[in-house]
Amino acid sequence: MLQTIAFYLFATLVVASAVMVIMSRNPVHSVLWLILSFFNAAGLMVLVGAEFIAMLLVIVYVGAVAVLFLFVVMMLDIDFASMRAGFVRNAPLGIAIALVLLAELVLGIGAYRAGALILGTPDGTAAPLLFESNIESIGALLYSRYLFLFESAGIILLVAMIGAIVLTHRERPAAHRRAHQDIGKQVRRNPKEATFNASPEIGKGIDL
Amino acid sequence: MTETFQDWGMTYEWAWGLATLAGVLLIALPLMLAVAMIIYMDRKVWAAIALRRGPNVVGPFGLAQSFADGLKVFLQETIIPSAANKGLFLLAPILTFTVALAAWAVIPFNSGAVLADINVGLLYIFAISSLGVYGVVISGWASNSKYPFFSAMRAAAQMISYEVSIGFVIICVVLYAGTFNMNGIIVGQIGHGLGVFNGYAFNLLLFPMWVVFLISSLAETARAPFDLTEAESELVAGYQTEYSSMSFALFWLGEYANVLLMCALNAILFFGGWLPPINWEPLYAVPGFIWLFAKIFLFFFIFSWIKATVPRFRYDQLMRLGWKVFLPMSLLFVVLISGWLMLTRYDCGDAGRVYVSTVPVTEAGVLYRDGQSAANLWDGRCVDDLPAVEREFVS
Amino acid sequence: MVDLSQYLPILIFLGIALALSCLFVFLPMGVSRLTGSHNPTAEKLSEYECGFPAFEDPRSQFDVNFYLIAILFIIFDLEAAFLFPWAVSLDLTGWPGWITMMIFLFELIVGFAYAWKKGALEWE
Repeated sequence: MLQTIAFYLFATLVVASAVMVIMSRNPVHSVLWLILSFFNAAGLMVLVGAEFIAMLLVIVYVGAVAVLFLFVVMMLDIDFASMRAGFVRNAPLGIAIALVLLAELVLGIGAYRAGALILGTPDGTAAPLLFESNIESIGALLYSRYLFLFESAGIILLVAMIGAIVLTHRERPAAHRRAHQDIGKQVRRNPKEATFNASPEIGKGIDL
Repeated sequence: MTETFQDWGMTYEWAWGLATLAGVLLIALPLMLAVAMIIYMDRKVWAAIALRRGPNVVGPFGLAQSFADGLKVFLQETIIPSAANKGLFLLAPILTFTVALAAWAVIPFNSGAVLADINVGLLYIFAISSLGVYGVVISGWASNSKYPFFSAMRAAAQMISYEVSIGFVIICVVLYAGTFNMNGIIVGQIGHGLGVFNGYAFNLLLFPMWVVFLISSLAETARAPFDLTEAESELVAGYQTEYSSMSFALFWLGEYANVLLMCALNAILFFGGWLPPINWEPLYAVPGFIWLFAKIFLFFFIFSWIKATVPRFRYDQLMRLGWKVFLPMSLLFVVLISGWLMLTRYDCGDAGRVYVSTVPVTEAGVLYRDGQSAANLWDGRCVDDLPAVEREFVS
Repeated sequence: MVDLSQYLPILIFLGIALALSCLFVFLPMGVSRLTGSHNPTAEKLSEYECGFPAFEDPRSQFDVNFYLIAILFIIFDLEAAFLFPWAVSLDLTGWPGWITMMIFLFELIVGFAYAWKKGALEWE
């Protein structure tokens, strides 16, 4: 009973906030609605018992990816009016992609009674969990049976990191660069070496 | 608590609901009271170190100072700047405070005394505290003013930088504990230090990680010496510059609730939470929550002490510390700790490990899933871990 | 098994925390109207500046370094996400699991070293 209520609460909020993502005029509002949508999706994940996935959804999507989105829309100060001007020109491509997505959705929904994919029965008898928590179950499979996929994920992350640096990092001209600070050197300096007393003769001066 | 209510003649559902509600209020309301008192304590400690008196006018020893401040801001006018984005401007303090409170749902106060005893408790805290960034960024942006905006940018970059190393430190602790459940992590610390001390901080491999965690938690909550987000000489009052009345106070309450949470995490992850510091029978007579609160206070004192004595970092030094010192260091310790555990704890001994070829496909119901043999699942595991049915086949 | 009844308190807690914070924000707004302290003026509602009107849009363009930091954060956060299940299943996966993760970490450390070498971690 409570689960049903919770499901409809989360599901309604996911759909409603997803609609708001595309309906709101301000891109910052869009991102915030997207965050609400992610958050409720995490709630749905908890309801099906995937607590680890739910937490990951919040940590990775809400805590990291959406922060980047927010950075981009808040700080890039993009002129969205000029971007909308290209709407008509890009419309055919957009419609094509939309059609592909629609076809996928229809196929996906059409497959609802195809069977075969039995993850578990409502009374929890089939497909018993081998380990006490599903984090352990994921770990036990990911790092043994699916290790190739796992390592490929590592390669993709590496490419992403290098790509991000190549795209966004630029060397500053030497004139604008701050002098390099070697903290170790500063800490090692002791007063005996740093200062000395001298009593030069008048008119001679000292060499530094 | 559910049983008590059931004894009063309620059905289980009602008793459970009421007990949960009571539990929530029992955490949320004392927490707000604690925040008020901790602000007072912070000011007193700070004053004492600076040879001042601190708040001493309102109530005995100035104890009621925070409540007087609270009443004052409560009666003030809420100013919403005309250039601000009104909805988001009001959303930001709500978000900050909600997030700061919500993380406390999984903190165990005593053996079994936890509101939500979930498997992924530590991940929940990590997830919820990563939401703290939004309150700051939204307030800075919605104010539509220069200083809050700069401050929000700084705060966001600072928080996410230190979250990385906090994540790795958490992994180090979990490697030892073998679970994300908060109570499980605490119980795992019984007698961890030479069989005498309760706490992971008494482990040579985990002690440096505790230092990293302590400093990162200062940076994560933007406490001095990392309070660049509200560096008064540069940014007026930081991202809260445009706020007034209770919405201003909510940022403070949220900030201090977060500081308390970080103190609690220091106590739970590294100093045994509700366990007494020494594994000695008579000490267990003292209720667990007293030990936990004592540890939280100790850590809060350390936080105030640091605030009063250490000068503020420069922003490039802050970034350097996070990315070039803490990140490689915590990554190295993940490798070291896991390697050490592999050699000592997870070594299989004489029985050795199973490999696919040695395990015949079994029809035993428990291991049979997805229509596939369970054999693959047991590839590379210790023979001793196998269920009895399987072990017969191997040996 | 996942015990859903442990998650309901969290939902209730979130609801109560949200209600409390809304109360704290909106109640003083009502009270200040009753006590008469609610008295907005044009000067009061202008944004904070050192005594003169601001002469540029405060939401100006920002240093690209902030984006780089955010992207690096996503990558390391994902890395941590992969480490979470690994940390609790080491006893099940044994040495093969450990070596798998070391290879994964090596890939990431190569990227980290590249970032360090390129000066992407410098803040100026």
